[in-house]
Amino acid sequence: MLLSMAGSGKSVEIKKISGKDETRGHLASMGFIEGEKITVVSKMAGGLILDIKGTRIAIDRGMANRIVCEGVA
Amino acid sequence: MVIRLALAGNPNCGKTTLFNNLTGASQHTGNWPGVTVEKKEGKLRGNKDVIITDLPGIYSLSPYSPEEVVARDYLIKDRPEIIVNVVDSTNLDRNLYLTTQLLETGIPVVVALNMIDVVEKNGDKIDSKKLSEILGCGVVEISALKKKGMDELISTAINTAKIKQAPVIKEIFSNKTEKFILEISSVLKGKVEDCLLRWYSIKLLENDEKAAEELRLNSQEKSIISETVQRFESEFDDDGESIVTNERYNHIASVVKETSKKAKKEKLNTSDKIDRIVTNRILALPIFACVMIAVYYISISTVGGWMTDWVNDTLFAETLIPGAESWLQSVGAADWLNSFIVNGVINGVGAVLGFLPQMIVLFILLAILEDCGYMARIAFIMDRIFRKFGLSGKSFIPIMIGTGCGVPGIMASCTIEQECDRKITAMTTTFIPCSAKIPIIALIAGALFGGSVWIAVSAYFLGVIAIIMSGIILKKMNRFSGTPAPFVVELPPYHLPGLKTVAFSTGGRAWAFVKKAGTVIFVACALIWFLSSYNWALQPVGIEDSILESIGSAICGIFAPLGWGDWQATVATITGFIAKENVLGTFGTLFGLSEVSDGGEEIWSFVAASFTQLSAYSFLVFNLLCAPCFAAIGAMRRELGNKGCLFAVAYQMVFAYAVALCVYQFGMLFMGGGFTAYTLLAVIALAGIIFFLVRPDKMLKRKKVEVSAT
Ligand SMILES: Nc1nc2c(ncn2[C@@H]2O[C@H](COP(=O)(O)OP(=O)(O)OP(=O)(O)O)[C@@H](O)[C@H]2O)c(=O)[nH]1
Ligand SMILES: [Mg+2]
Repeated sequence: MLLSMAGSGKSVEIKKISGKDETRGHLASMGFIEGEKITVVSKMAGGLILDIKGTRIAIDRGMANRIVCEGVA
Repeated sequence: MVIRLALAGNPNCGKTTLFNNLTGASQHTGNWPGVTVEKKEGKLRGNKDVIITDLPGIYSLSPYSPEEVVARDYLIKDRPEIIVNVVDSTNLDRNLYLTTQLLETGIPVVVALNMIDVVEKNGDKIDSKKLSEILGCGVVEISALKKKGMDELISTAINTAKIKQAPVIKEIFSNKTEKFILEISSVLKGKVEDCLLRWYSIKLLENDEKAAEELRLNSQEKSIISETVQRFESEFDDDGESIVTNERYNHIASVVKETSKKAKKEKLNTSDKIDRIVTNRILALPIFACVMIAVYYISISTVGGWMTDWVNDTLFAETLIPGAESWLQSVGAADWLNSFIVNGVINGVGAVLGFLPQMIVLFILLAILEDCGYMARIAFIMDRIFRKFGLSGKSFIPIMIGTGCGVPGIMASCTIEQECDRKITAMTTTFIPCSAKIPIIALIAGALFGGSVWIAVSAYFLGVIAIIMSGIILKKMNRFSGTPAPFVVELPPYHLPGLKTVAFSTGGRAWAFVKKAGTVIFVACALIWFLSSYNWALQPVGIEDSILESIGSAICGIFAPLGWGDWQATVATITGFIAKENVLGTFGTLFGLSEVSDGGEEIWSFVAASFTQLSAYSFLVFNLLCAPCFAAIGAMRRELGNKGCLFAVAYQMVFAYAVALCVYQFGMLFMGGGFTAYTLLAVIALAGIIFFLVRPDKMLKRKKVEVSAT
C-alpha cells in the first residue's frame, strides 16, 4: 500500500520509493531507505508526521503517495 | 601554523551555538533546520591561529539545495585541516550517516557528541570511548548550550590537526562491496592522492557524476569502471547508490547498538502531543493566525506601544526637544545648527529611534518563536495552502524571518530546493512588513485611525495575500514555472526558549537597528534637513521655497492617482528606499521645519493634516508593497542575479502601484466620488491583475503531457 493510506499510529516498513533520483538521494540521507521501519505519528489534511530513526519528519501527501510500504505488526 | 577548523553536521544539531561559544560571535541560531545558509568564519577565542568556519547543515555530502552545496564544496575543495563533526547525540542513527561519509574524505575528523545534556536527562547512555574505537577518530561529549566539554573538544581537535591524523580507514561495508571498492581503487591508484582513493572509489560505485568528472579518466579506465559498477549492481540487483546507502545504515545500526543504550520511551512524547494540537487539521490555521496576531498586538499596541508613546511624548516632546533648544540658545549656537539638531537629528532620527521599545518587544517574541521549535511546524501547516498555489510551505520560513528584516528573509530562501520557488520566494518575501515598516504602520494608524490595531493586522494580511497573488501570477510565467519540490522537513522537538538565546538574538537585532539609525538614517535625515532648509542658491529659506520642495513637486504627480500627490509624501516614499524607517524620519524632519511652533504637537497631527483616511491607507499599501530598501534589493540581487533583480523590483513597483491605485480609486468611488479618468485607470489595473491571475497556465498543459508520457 501507499504510505499516504497508513493510519495514524501505524508502523510500516518501506518497500519502495519512486520518483526523481535527487529526491530519493535526499530522502535516503534523512533515513528513508527500503526496509526501514517507520511510524505514522499523526496525519493532517495536507500531510503526515513520521517517526523515522527517532526523529520527526513532516512530508506532504504527494510525497507520501510515492512511498510504497507494508504494514508491520 | 594556522589551523582551519570546519564545523559540519546535520541541520539543527547545534553547530552555530558551538561556533558562537568558541569564537564569541553572535551568529543567528534557532530551533529549526536551515538557520545558517552561508559559511561564516571566526577566530577561536584565545588562539588566533585557529580559524573556525560555521557551515550550513547537511544530511550528506551529496548536496540537495544551494546552501548544502556551500558546505560540501568547502569541505571537499577547500579541505580544512580538521573537521569537527557536530552530532546530535539524541539521534545517532541518522547523524552518523554523514559521519561515515566525512570519515572517508581523508581529512582529520573529531566527532563532537552535542546535546549530551539531553541524553543525560533522558537517562540514555552512550559509550563514547567505544564509539571512538569503532569510528576510528576522536569522540568528545559536549553540550554547546551548557558550554560543557569545550576545552576538551578544542584540545583534541588541535592535536589531531597538528599531527595530521586522518581517520583510520574502517571497512564498513559488506565483504562483497568492499571487494568492488578494492577493484575500483586499483584502477584509480596513482590518479588521486592515497587518502582520497577510498572516497572516490565509493563515489564511482554510487554512480556519482560529479566525482567522475573531477577524476578526468581516459576512455579505457572509464569502461573498466562502468563494467565493474554493472557487475556490482547486478550482483545486488539494485542501483549502486541504494546499495551503498543501505550498507552504510546497516553499519550504523550495529554501531549504535554496540555503543548506546536508550531508556524506554513513551510512544507519544510531549512534542508529539503538542503537534497533535498545533498541526491539527482544523485547529492548525486558527492557532497560527492567533499566534501571529498576538505577536503584533503585543509588540505594536500593548507593551511596546506604551513604551514608545512614553518615549515620543514625554522623553522627546517634553524633555529632549525643549531641553536641547534652550541649551543650544544658551551656548549661543547658530540658528542653522539649532535647526539642524532639533529638526534634523531629534525630530528625524529621534522619531525613528523612538520605536526602539516596540522593536525590542517584537524581536523578543520573534526570538521565542524561532527558538521554541514552532517555525518548522509553520512551514508544514502552510504547505497545505501554498501547494494549492504552486508554492511549497518552505517559502513561509523566509517570510517569517522577513517580519524581522527582509535581508535575512531573502537569504533564507536558498533552503528551497526548487529553483523557481526559490526565486519567487526571494521576490515576494518583502511583501510581508519587516520591522522597519512598523513605524510607517504605526504612523498611519496613529495619525488617522486612532491607533487601531486592525491597521497593523490588515498590513500583515495584505502581505500574505500579495505573496499568494504574486505566487499565482509569477508561476504562470515561463521563467518561474515548475512544480514545487516535495515537502520533507524535519520537525525538531519543542523546547523552552533559552533566556540567553533570546537575549542574544534580540540584542543583536536591536543593536543593528540602533546602528542603522545612527548611520544611514542619520545621513538621510541630515540630507532631508539640508534640502528642505535651503534653496538652489544655497540660501536659507522656508521649507516652501526649498530644493526639496521643487524636486518633490516635480515628481509628485506620479502618485496623484493614488490620492497622495503632495510633495512631502512623495519625498518620504523615495527616502524609504534608503531604509524604510526614513519614511517616518522624513516626516519628522519636515514636520519640525514647518512647525506652527505650537509646542508639544506631534508628528501625527502634521501627517493627519496632509492625508484623508483613504489616501493614508493607499500610502501605506504602496509603501508596504513597493520595492524594499537598498539592502534588501542587494540581497535579491545575490539570489536572483542582475536581470532577475531588475525584474523583481519592476514587478514590485507595478504591483504596489496597481494595488494602491485600486484601493484609493475604488474607495473614492464607493464614497461617492464619481467616476473620473483615474477611476478608469484603476479599472484597467484591476482587469490587468485579474487577467494575470486567471489566465491559463501554458506550462501546465505541457507538464500534464510529460506526466502522462512517463
Ligand atoms: N539542549 C541543548 N540544546 C542545544 C545544544 N546545542 C544547541 N542546542 C539548541 O539546538 C537548536 C539549534 O541550534 P543551532 O546552533 O542553530 O543549530 P545549527 O546546527 O547551527 O543549525 P542549522 O544552521 O540550521 O544547520 C537551538 O535551539 C539551540 O538552542 C545543546 O548542547 N543542548
Ligand atoms: Mg547554524
